[in-house]
Amino acid sequence: MEPGAVKSVDLCKTYHGKDEIEALRGVSIDVSKGELFTLLGPNGAGKTTFLRIISTQLLASGGDAYVMGHSVTSEAEEVREHIAVVPQDVATYNNFTPWEYAYYFARLRGISSSEAKLKAQEALRAVDLWELRDRMCQTLSGGEKRRAIIASVLSSNADVLMLDEPTSGLDAVARRGVWSALRELVRNEKAILLTTHMMEEAEMISDRIAIVNKGSVVACGRLEEIKGLVKERFRVVISGDFKQTADHIEVVKLGDRSIVYLKTQDEAVDLLKATLKMNLRAEYSPVTLEDVFVKLVGGFDNHEN
Amino acid sequence: MKIRKILQDTFMIAWIKSYPDFRRNPLMLLLLAMISAIPLFFMLMFSSGGNVIVHGLIGAMVSSVSFAGVMAGIQDISWDRYVKIREMIVAMPVHPASYALGIALAPLLISIPSLIFFGAITVFLGFLTLETLVWIVPALIIVWAAMSTMGFMISTYLFKSSMMVLNNLSNLLGIGFIFIPPVYFSEAQLGSLSWISIIIPTSNVAGLIRSSMGLLPLSIETVIVRWAVLIITTSAFIILTFIKAKWREK
Repeated sequence: MEPGAVKSVDLCKTYHGKDEIEALRGVSIDVSKGELFTLLGPNGAGKTTFLRIISTQLLASGGDAYVMGHSVTSEAEEVREHIAVVPQDVATYNNFTPWEYAYYFARLRGISSSEAKLKAQEALRAVDLWELRDRMCQTLSGGEKRRAIIASVLSSNADVLMLDEPTSGLDAVARRGVWSALRELVRNEKAILLTTHMMEEAEMISDRIAIVNKGSVVACGRLEEIKGLVKERFRVVISGDFKQTADHIEVVKLGDRSIVYLKTQDEAVDLLKATLKMNLRAEYSPVTLEDVFVKLVGGFDNHEN
Repeated sequence: MKIRKILQDTFMIAWIKSYPDFRRNPLMLLLLAMISAIPLFFMLMFSSGGNVIVHGLIGAMVSSVSFAGVMAGIQDISWDRYVKIREMIVAMPVHPASYALGIALAPLLISIPSLIFFGAITVFLGFLTLETLVWIVPALIIVWAAMSTMGFMISTYLFKSSMMVLNNLSNLLGIGFIFIPPVYFSEAQLGSLSWISIIIPTSNVAGLIRSSMGLLPLSIETVIVRWAVLIITTSAFIILTFIKAKWREK
């Protein structure tokens, strides 16, 4: 990994309207070349605002960010030479074909016609749309439409790709197709800044993750580092009427299910044995990113301990 | 940014915005030509002869480019709100002027076949010569620019309105600027109120075209004033749009 693809320093954004909303409160992150960096956060956390500032669509209220060493505030034109963006909730232009998405957008970036054709071909093959390249978007499935838009970004020569929830609404197979294409780009030294609220996505494809909540970064690092931020390492999911046996353990109730968080594997195995004696169904596993995320953003208050 | 790149992007955006529609929805061309031709049909049915058809053909040409202009602004909103191509383009090395011009140029390209059709009939009737063309082409370009900037102004000032409101507004503008003022008929029919045609860009241009064809007697001073009003109106729309429009949100 090389340093310096994206760097934000104390980035702030306040929307002034009827109510003043602080969307970003001093966000500082850095993304290297050859790295896929994910901003993970609940809806309204500030992920899209951050991405829109970095992609020069929105002005920051404070702080600054740099893309390939250029300030997004004062050198927007230079920044735009290096970036490509897939916005959130983007719909396809129905009269376009996937080929037109990939080819025309490459041309708009100043790429010559012959090179744009090559890039478009590579991009469409990467998202598995080559066979459907001449079909109108209105006849494609939701996943294929999204991949057509992603192809328009892949066909660019941009050093930094920014994708705002690119796989939301896609089925598992389509999602994996997109992930595979993104990882391939990372291997080719592209920097990718991605937002998502899907834990599995963040876990599967990210090199590093920043958990954003209420406009602030609450955790940042590799998956294992983030999981290491909570003291519990294991969880036992119990189906049925589980009665808490010890005061010191943390239990989260989800209707007729209970999730028990434990520090060691031994504790988890002991609890598993105890629940089996109670004739309850139970299984244990290491804590997931979702467990850590919920703990860090404090979004779930169904605790019993 | 280099002028060459700005021009190249302008035509690329215009092409992207027109060619796929043009290729996959050719009926749209027929529809556009028919909308502009509807008043002509009634003129043929109910006119008492004379130059009424030529007046109507001039109206149809002005109508074709004016509709193209108003459509530009509305299309900007739909690109921005639904397909978000504008958002994607903002983050590209593309100049805002390329985007605005490209979006405005696209419907004009689509209206070219109907313009050629109406122009050919006018030539056939002997009213369109090379000499008159020298005046007609710039007049049509300016009215397209005026209506395009008006479309952009609407889309900029009513940025948060629903598409339904904007579509209805564009239809109302079409009626208000194309069918009610003396675009399809001579302003001479308005008598003492004929001055109204000068302040509306569409009827002003229709009057200038008629004058160049010898269908409307105007003094040289009046022609100069009318060109000046047309240019000032268009410039005002451009300035208002530039004041309000934001390439990058604050």
